[in-house]
Amino acid sequence: MIAMMDSLRNILVMIELEARRIRHDRTELYVRAVQPVLWLVIYGSVMSSVKLIPTGGMSYIAYITPGVLLQSTAFVSIFFGLTIVWEKESGILKKLLVTPASRYSIVIGRSMAAGVRSILQAVIIIPIAMLIGVAFIPNPAYFILAFALIFLISAGFAAISIFIASFLKTRERFMGIGQAITFPLFFASNALYPIELMPPLLKEFALVNPMSYAVDAIRGLLISGNISNLAFDISAITIFVVVMLAIASVSFKRIIE
Amino acid sequence: METAVEINGIKKFYNGKVKALDGIDLRVGAGKVFAVLGPNGAGKTTLMRILTTQIKPTSGDASIFGLDVMKDDSETRKLISYVPQEMSVWTDISGYENLLIYAKIYGIPAGERKKLINGMLRTMGIESFAGSLVRNYSGGMIRRLEIACALIIKPKILFLDEPTIGLDPSARKTVWEKLMSFKDENGVTIFFNTHYMDEADIYSDQIAIMNAGKIVKLGTAQELKHSLGGEIISFGIEGKISAGAVKKIRGIKIVTGATADENGLRVFASDAGVALPRITDILEKGGVYIKEVSIKKPTLDDVFLKYAGTKIETAERVTDIRYTRDRIKR
Repeated sequence: MIAMMDSLRNILVMIELEARRIRHDRTELYVRAVQPVLWLVIYGSVMSSVKLIPTGGMSYIAYITPGVLLQSTAFVSIFFGLTIVWEKESGILKKLLVTPASRYSIVIGRSMAAGVRSILQAVIIIPIAMLIGVAFIPNPAYFILAFALIFLISAGFAAISIFIASFLKTRERFMGIGQAITFPLFFASNALYPIELMPPLLKEFALVNPMSYAVDAIRGLLISGNISNLAFDISAITIFVVVMLAIASVSFKRIIE
Repeated sequence: METAVEINGIKKFYNGKVKALDGIDLRVGAGKVFAVLGPNGAGKTTLMRILTTQIKPTSGDASIFGLDVMKDDSETRKLISYVPQEMSVWTDISGYENLLIYAKIYGIPAGERKKLINGMLRTMGIESFAGSLVRNYSGGMIRRLEIACALIIKPKILFLDEPTIGLDPSARKTVWEKLMSFKDENGVTIFFNTHYMDEADIYSDQIAIMNAGKIVKLGTAQELKHSLGGEIISFGIEGKISAGAVKKIRGIKIVTGATADENGLRVFASDAGVALPRITDILEKGGVYIKEVSIKKPTLDDVFLKYAGTKIETAERVTDIRYTRDRIKR
């Protein structure tokens, strides 16, 4: 019980650390928001006028808003592994491991810290989407749940990145792999078009892609208001996050040795 | 006296072959300052990482204040603090915030944190930079902050891996003065790795000289220096000294050791005045021309040279670390 409380406290401390870092330097937040905004403003507006993709009645920009939001989340979280690589190159990880904090609380805490960045990305992107005419469901409970899910899936993506960081021990190598992972997650999901439009093989991939479930959940909560799949989506996301955190905790050993 | 560190037959092989540690036995008393002196690759860092529960030895066991570092690793971590050789603070937050994060990780109650942190910043002499980003600190200040982060929990034992590497002499001195004043107040045991002879000489109660995964000599700085005999006679020579001649010199009663290389001959003797004529005699008979002779009291450098068989390559190593630390700081 005490161990549980300690771990929880350490997870919160890791989240606090991230919040403090962001408070000192917000430029990265703004820079990272540029790409998703371009997706909405340029790609979104052009594709809306084409009207080729069945969106179930909503405007195309509104349709892709959850996907773009989650793509930026995934991007931020996957590149969070860079921080871990940096902490490995420096002595920070070694030092953290010699504190009473348990190893898995360090992994979970560092992963969830990525969630802080993701939430702040969403806080920048959503008002911009509103400005260009995307209508959100005005239900505070839905917003809170959506943010909680963004936070949760960020931890899962960050765990993927910790797992990768355990193989690639230099920052340079990490950059390339980061791109190679975020793009399939984004394009082979229902972020930009319905899965039904995809060729069979891609469809299979999209169905095991956690991004699809996150997009479905956020789209239901924030845009369409149709939450009939929500329970299933949340279960899928939770399983993904728990499995990834477990894998990351195990592979974390490799990082330190 | 209470035992702070006890090590029995620790071996560590990497990939089943590379011997990082080849049978270490050691005992460190509580409240002592213990220095491990050795060249790059001697195994100092590996030993420290085992003692701080980061890696497991291939065989042997070790305990910290009676706690087994492998079986009771989580209990051990509550007693120890560690400052790695590489930079171990976050540079994108302030010094105060670094201490705050560590204070929270160690579960220091909210009511005590502020007072403790400010006290620690004062002890280490960085209180006027508490609110600045660590990125803007000098190397010496970063080191003092790292030590502050380690000491804030008042550990029973502090492990320092090359605590002053890459610092200029005055910054090194400040780091040690702050450390010593903390030690005098709180009685913490200090276990540190270094390749600076003078630090081991001045600040430690006991020194272990390590080379190639083994402890080659153990003792106080005084004992180590005495173990070489009273004086060192260095000869600058022309011509080659035969192995037989060196053996003969070693055979002289008051000579405790002799080493020869291309630059000359070094002889350790309890009385240089008596030994000198006999050595010159042997050298001249062997057809060696003596260019110069000097006599001095041994320093730790000489001790090290004798037992580790090499000189510590300080310059190259320091540039290396300094480069790494600068790169990480950016």
